[in-house]
Amino acid sequence: MRALPLLVAAALAVLVPRAQDELDRLRAQDARERAVLYVRSGDRLRRLAPGFRSLLADLYWLRTVQYYGAQIAYSKEKKFELLQPLVTITTRLDPRFELAYRYGATFLAEPPPRGAGQPEAAVALLERGARALPDSWRVRQDLGFSHFFYLDDAATASRVLLDASRIPGAPYWLVTLAAELLRRGGERETSRLLWQQIYEQADEAPIKENARMHVLQIEAADTADAIGRAVEEFARQRGRRPASLPELKASGWPDLPLYDPGATPFEYDPATGQVAVSRRSPVWAPGYARRPERSPIRPAPSAAPVTASPQPTAHGR
Amino acid sequence: MAAGRLSRTAAVAMNTYRESVRERVLYNLLFFALLMTLSGLLLRDLSIRQDDRILKDLGLAAIDLFGTVIAIFIGVGLVNKEIDRRSLYPLLAKPLRRSEFVVGKFAGLSLTLLVNVAAMTAGLYFTLAVTRHPLDLHIAKAVACLYLGLLLTVALALFFSAVTSAGLAVVCTISLVLAGRFADVVRNMPEVAPSVPRALARAVYFALPNFANFDLKDRVVHADPISPAYLAWMAVYAVAYGGLLLTGAAAVFARRDLK
Amino acid sequence: MTDPAVELRGLRKAYLVGHLRRRPHAVLHDLDLTVERGEVFGYLGPNGSGKTTTMKILAGLLRADAGTVSVLGRPLGDPAWRHRVGFLPEHPYFYDYLTPREYLDYAGRLFGIPSAERKARSDQLLEQVGLARYGGVAMRRFSKGMLQRLGLAQAMINLPELVFLDEPMSGLDPIGRRMVRDVIAGLKERGATVFFSTHILSDAESLCDRVALLREGRLVKTGRLDEILSAGDHHLEVLVAGIGAPVAESLPGAVGARAIGERWRVELPRGVPLGPVAHAVEAAGGRVLAVQPVRQSLEDYFVSQVDPSREGRKWPLAD
Repeated sequence: MRALPLLVAAALAVLVPRAQDELDRLRAQDARERAVLYVRSGDRLRRLAPGFRSLLADLYWLRTVQYYGAQIAYSKEKKFELLQPLVTITTRLDPRFELAYRYGATFLAEPPPRGAGQPEAAVALLERGARALPDSWRVRQDLGFSHFFYLDDAATASRVLLDASRIPGAPYWLVTLAAELLRRGGERETSRLLWQQIYEQADEAPIKENARMHVLQIEAADTADAIGRAVEEFARQRGRRPASLPELKASGWPDLPLYDPGATPFEYDPATGQVAVSRRSPVWAPGYARRPERSPIRPAPSAAPVTASPQPTAHGR
Repeated sequence: MAAGRLSRTAAVAMNTYRESVRERVLYNLLFFALLMTLSGLLLRDLSIRQDDRILKDLGLAAIDLFGTVIAIFIGVGLVNKEIDRRSLYPLLAKPLRRSEFVVGKFAGLSLTLLVNVAAMTAGLYFTLAVTRHPLDLHIAKAVACLYLGLLLTVALALFFSAVTSAGLAVVCTISLVLAGRFADVVRNMPEVAPSVPRALARAVYFALPNFANFDLKDRVVHADPISPAYLAWMAVYAVAYGGLLLTGAAAVFARRDLK
Repeated sequence: MTDPAVELRGLRKAYLVGHLRRRPHAVLHDLDLTVERGEVFGYLGPNGSGKTTTMKILAGLLRADAGTVSVLGRPLGDPAWRHRVGFLPEHPYFYDYLTPREYLDYAGRLFGIPSAERKARSDQLLEQVGLARYGGVAMRRFSKGMLQRLGLAQAMINLPELVFLDEPMSGLDPIGRRMVRDVIAGLKERGATVFFSTHILSDAESLCDRVALLREGRLVKTGRLDEILSAGDHHLEVLVAGIGAPVAESLPGAVGARAIGERWRVELPRGVPLGPVAHAVEAAGGRVLAVQPVRQSLEDYFVSQVDPSREGRKWPLAD
């Protein structure tokens, strides 16, 4: 009778390591974050909170969002210095937090005053996200766009978008976009296409707003270029440049807008014939002014047109 | 004969359950757990997207945390409280075997936990329903797995309760529960610190109760499927380890002189 | 020939005392004891003599170091006899959050008594021990005496053939003590065996058939009560009336003259003849009202055995 409990205990004692081994094996099979797990560079935060990691990731995410909002609203300098560390911690705590990668990358890449102006960090973040979320076409889409916009690398962008398009569930136009990028890499029109896509798909208000702003910037630049061509035409016909934009408008181009989508008048230098978006305008962006234009303006190929009515934004103050 | 064993064990279990219902400590804990779950509603609004992720995380974390607290703090008092108060004396003089007493106590606290965990889960589902999120059966699955982990915690607490005094039992149980939650770190020790002998790390790893086995919260939040094989082995682990603890508790308790 | 109710042979138990080097301190030394069926057995001894240790070994709380114990013919480890036995521990404690009815129900379930019978017996026992009014009150508020009564009730829920009582009268008022005495008498009438330990000797004296006297873990004396006491001194107690103090205090051979109102009581130690005393009383104009043999009290005997230096002096009542 004494022997029975001992036998039972022995049997159970053998079973425990066996079961544990099986569980570990199954976990390794199922889980995709294994690769990211045991980084030696000191994932101390991760080690502190096993079992509650997901919750901590949420809390850090909240901090990130609040931090960004507070910087926008209250900070004079708007450097967003903490944005990268906060997003990094969030995504290390939960490597599959898709929104954190996308939102984080968007505002890391954006130049001040809207973001941290760290496009390389944004790209690195998205690359980590792509590794951790092999099924996410959205992260790869963002990655592709980032390569195109910020690193001026249309070839890589196209390749990434192609990879993304192969993921089950990815939308059909990723392939189209990839092709377009390859064919006309570096064109403003392509950029506008991409931003239009982002605007249409994003559910989150800040990302949507950011995309809209980019589309308006491109439209403004396009319009400035169109006005510039009108100036040239005027000069050819009359032998001199118009003295001002209203004169140009009055003499045969009645549809010419004098104000950009940011409700600021275009700047015109009669000496050189240059038409540009005013620096004071909310839709001024340095990059677009420099892009060379090669084809005539076409209307935006979108079903839901971006509204051109300007809305006051925080940084316009 | 076996029927007698069962009915005596059941009598002890029901009495233990009744004690937990009538001693009001539990209601405070339940209240705080529900509070924690409801605070998810507030936090959710601060997030950029109105998703249910943080609600689920918070709710499951509350169930895990408070369930563990209940398991430990009631568990460590299960046996030695009766010894100290000497309420055990008239019981053991009856045809109640010491092993039946230990198992009965375990069953009683398990029942208490079941009721409390069910209440907390209902609270979580209610919170999700109020915010009009689709009801997710994965949560119930994750809670069921958590519950198995809680049973293991009870077995641990009961073991120390039967073997040593109340104060020491608390310290030992909490230490092992914490260590068990870091079992993964122990397993990977040789990778991080190569001087640690592999065999030792493995031995310690298997000896510790690995609570990560029962933690499927991440899977639930990301709606990952959980393989039936995994669930089966998890149950085996819980029964084996828990059974070992209970057998040990009964054996040690049977030899103990109760002054 | 039925087995004795309880049989202890060579029972030994020692506790380890000290912190660093733990030395054994013997509490029971080679105890030999037999309790026959149907008798009321008193287990007596001063505090610390090992009475409670013996009871705890019988209850299964402690393990003896050596020796054998058999109860109702079965060895100590056999759980079968526990169905036929009841226990009342010293200073019983039950559960604050239960009522007497609930506790008795719990105890009954541990004996495997079916539900309807449990209820019937509970009601009857609560009535018997005087707790019927409090059957549904949580025991949180119970006094020591009330807990004692419940203790007695739970010891009998299984209609035991043998009952162990450790200080059954403790905490009870005179009515309570009378109740316990009635219960024990009732048990005896039913043919049950009662083994009770106490240090209140008057209770033992009035109830027991046989007693055992324990001192420092050793049995000093075991035997029938009347035999033990008859072996002691036999005084005669004489009650007289109609005489004055000088006469009363100088009656031939008499000691301890005490006035009770108008009467006098004197004691005649063993061997002193009655005749001359009666004669002296009548010669002084008084009369002898009553003559009674007075046995040595158990208390006197007890004290003489336990603490010889205090022989003849009254031990302060320890209750």
